[in-house]
Amino acid sequence: MEKFMIQTKGLTKTFKKKKVVENLDLQIKEGEIYGFLGPNGAGKSTTIRMLLGLARPSSGTIEMFGKNLQDNKSFILKKTGSLVESPSYYGHLTAYENLEVLRRLLEIPKSRIDEVLSIVRLNREAKRPVKGFSLGMKQRLGIAAAMLGNPELLILDEPTNGLDPSGIHEIRELIRSLPKEHGTTVLVSSHLLSEIDLMATQLGIIAKGQLVFQNSIEEIRKKSMSRIGFHVNNPVEVKTLINSSHAVNEEGIVYVDYLADAKVAAMIDVIVSHKYEIYRVQEEKKSLEEIFLTITNGEASL
Amino acid sequence: MIRFLLIDTLKMKKKWVWFLVFLGPAGVVGLEAFNFLLRYEWLTKQYQDDLWGGLIDESRLLAVPALMMGLAIVASILAGIEHQTNSWKQVLALPVSKCSVFTAKFMLLTFLLFISCTCLGIGLICLGMALDFGTKIPFEYLLKISYYPLLAALPFAALHTWLSIVVKNQAIALTCGIVGTILSLYGVIMPDWVPYKWLFLENSWGKFEYSATAGVLTGLLVYLVGLLDFSRRDVL
Repeated sequence: MEKFMIQTKGLTKTFKKKKVVENLDLQIKEGEIYGFLGPNGAGKSTTIRMLLGLARPSSGTIEMFGKNLQDNKSFILKKTGSLVESPSYYGHLTAYENLEVLRRLLEIPKSRIDEVLSIVRLNREAKRPVKGFSLGMKQRLGIAAAMLGNPELLILDEPTNGLDPSGIHEIRELIRSLPKEHGTTVLVSSHLLSEIDLMATQLGIIAKGQLVFQNSIEEIRKKSMSRIGFHVNNPVEVKTLINSSHAVNEEGIVYVDYLADAKVAAMIDVIVSHKYEIYRVQEEKKSLEEIFLTITNGEASL
Repeated sequence: MIRFLLIDTLKMKKKWVWFLVFLGPAGVVGLEAFNFLLRYEWLTKQYQDDLWGGLIDESRLLAVPALMMGLAIVASILAGIEHQTNSWKQVLALPVSKCSVFTAKFMLLTFLLFISCTCLGIGLICLGMALDFGTKIPFEYLLKISYYPLLAALPFAALHTWLSIVVKNQAIALTCGIVGTILSLYGVIMPDWVPYKWLFLENSWGKFEYSATAGVLTGLLVYLVGLLDFSRRDVL
């Protein structure tokens, strides 16, 4: 059996009788970058709060590092770094002082502050008060803070939220390098599939508090295989003619799963020989975004 | 625990907390100086047997509301550091127990008030000297009057620590502080069991220690209840 970094069973959180998170069974393996995806308000942040021991689950269990979270909170949190929503700082203190506050709590050597500052490339701004920082710098400082304790597990809630493209790119590269260089397992949440697609190896999709998909990112890519669409004059009859179980009729176009060229030719031949008219034959690739929308029942925010 | 206190003092930087800590006693001593300068003849006649005692008793009436108000404001600032920056979740996601976070805030508040009370004592000695009350300073009485009200105020310190942390809107905590300060002005005429009366160290037995002990015990109780509530709450 593989070792799970995080494993939740039947995790449920109820707020005022409304189930915000319902029966969540997360399984995150060591060394993965787990993309935790879901539309706004799907329960991502609530789940992450529960993983960090900030909120109590209404029912269900959380196991991290193979231990129960409730009973081994400080052991687990010591090995975990986190960035929860918009990172927060003591604005009146400098970047260095902010990390110093954390460093004292974590009881780690002073040199580590300079190390993490250089990882996120903030060493030149270290002596400036944080309130003058740009959003991207604050976000990078947040990641530095999360990495301060040399964690084996990083939990990042929407780390690229509100960043400009170059900032997003930087953070993404940083996250991608973590498992390779430091052996860190990363759980990163986002409401943007394209984001997750670029960095995650494993994917979990949550919608309306329920986990609707959990597998490797390749699995979902397979779903985005292309299909062939036939524009014909009588789609209903053509569909029965083709008689393939995968043939579907969408808005007057008959779709079949991807076929090799020869088979497409054969199919055209059959349709034409039955005196139906073909106007167009097109190959269509379903984007990940569309798959995401289908999985989350179209309530995704893009 | 010391570690937590140091961290909280680090966070206090540039927050005007120290200014408030000294403003309180300075205000009381200043007003008292004003009081004695204006009515020097009358007051010295009134307290001619015990000039020092008179000065200390006069200042006691001012020190209590100052203590109450200062307590509410400082508690609010201490908790506000986390509220303003939205960093409660960041702090509590660290490998620290909620208990130690709460206790650190409470202890720091008590420690800061202790410094204020010390300043008040020193300030009163200086004032007495300046008013030429002689060198027969009643140190024991002065110490009691300086520190016992702090002990009696511990229930309020614990209450405000909890209130400021739990309710994000600091206006609520400050309003409670102001109402408390006004109520404390009427403490002397309240029945013995009301904590506001303990602040003045008055009780029907005439023993300061009773008021102080009641304060410490109730303070501990309020602290424990607050701690229990805080550790059970979800952080949002």
